[in-house]
Amino acid sequence: MKPRMLIALLALVGAFVALYLTLYKVGVIGELSCTVGSCETVNTSRWATFLGLPVAAWGLGSYVVLLALALVGMQTSSRLVAWAITVLATWNFLFSAWLTYLERYVIHAYCMWCLISATLVTLIFITAVVDLKRTLRPA
Amino acid sequence: MGKNRVEHGRGRRANVVRQQRADSTRVFYIALGVIAIIGIALVARTARHGARARQAIDVQATPAQAEGYLLGNPNAPVQIMEFADFECPACGQFATITEPDVRQRIVNTGLASYRFFDFPLSQHRNTMPASNAAACAADQGKFWQMHDKLFYGQPEWNGEATDDPMKVFSRYAKEIGLDVGTWTTCVEEQRHLPRILGNRAEGMRRKVQSTPTFVIGTKQIDGALSYDEIKAYVDSAAKQAASRPAAPAAGAGSTASSAAPAAAPADTGAAAKR
Repeated sequence: MKPRMLIALLALVGAFVALYLTLYKVGVIGELSCTVGSCETVNTSRWATFLGLPVAAWGLGSYVVLLALALVGMQTSSRLVAWAITVLATWNFLFSAWLTYLERYVIHAYCMWCLISATLVTLIFITAVVDLKRTLRPA
Repeated sequence: MGKNRVEHGRGRRANVVRQQRADSTRVFYIALGVIAIIGIALVARTARHGARARQAIDVQATPAQAEGYLLGNPNAPVQIMEFADFECPACGQFATITEPDVRQRIVNTGLASYRFFDFPLSQHRNTMPASNAAACAADQGKFWQMHDKLFYGQPEWNGEATDDPMKVFSRYAKEIGLDVGTWTTCVEEQRHLPRILGNRAEGMRRKVQSTPTFVIGTKQIDGALSYDEIKAYVDSAAKQAASRPAAPAAGAGSTASSAAPAAAPADTGAAAKR
């Protein structure tokens, strides 16, 4: 399986995780009730919003773009696509690392789905770097 | 590795490679489809399940050990208790959308009394000041007016909006006609902290897990209820109370009101004015 296929699959899984968290944040899932548990602590903290949108919605958007890029990338061997994937994957990786840092040291609570997303983002990042190296390798 | 094989492969070998590539593409699309189907199914199921996740637990109709804040007739046949956090969006939604109907058609008609208990959650950083603001408004008989102001205006003072909620609360105090000086001293001293913590302790005793949580008669239900659901619980609790000999029902009513000493009459007065 080619790296871009792997990226597409991981991004789709990530998109569903982010969709779930977004629906949760918006209140479609569940009662929107405020619970004592830690997923709620994380998702209702003030770091759960970035530039006016829920962080989960940003995640959803970036996973969808990654999925689209990876699918386009399967049809072409363009370096531009490889770069675009890598830049987006790197940004996601750094942002996700920052969020996980906040969970660990500031909010003092972990959210399982956020950690799953962080893992996916890390795998996508590694795969993207591998893919970029391959693309740049002289034919 | 695959590339090397392509370069070295000629004739039949190349065909094999092309075949393998087509296979891996097919595997990819199947995997993509499977993930999509599973994902959609799970999200749809959670969304649907979420709407039904609410469960009523049977609880003993033990009188509350904290007083809460009373609205309506303390001797009404049914008691509704709400455990809520002023900064919780679900509680705000309930207070703005559903509660007016509940007051008008259930509390004011004497079908049930309504008691509010603070259940401040640690993740809401401005909820304790809000509980204090409401408790101090209760001193001047205006708990419910402050309660409504707080819930209606939640987005302008919650932890995402401001570090200084008191500025907003002071405006509310002025708007509902409190003696702002007395009220401010009371809030700054956190004079009613024991009362707030007492209300929360009552919730913890009842193992409240999320806000809002309701106790109606002998049922404890978590999540924001609709008017119809509340009415149904009240009706069945009233039936239950009526089918029992008169004594226990009256007893429950009187113990509940005796458990609510000093501040209750003042709040009842405020409730009657509304």
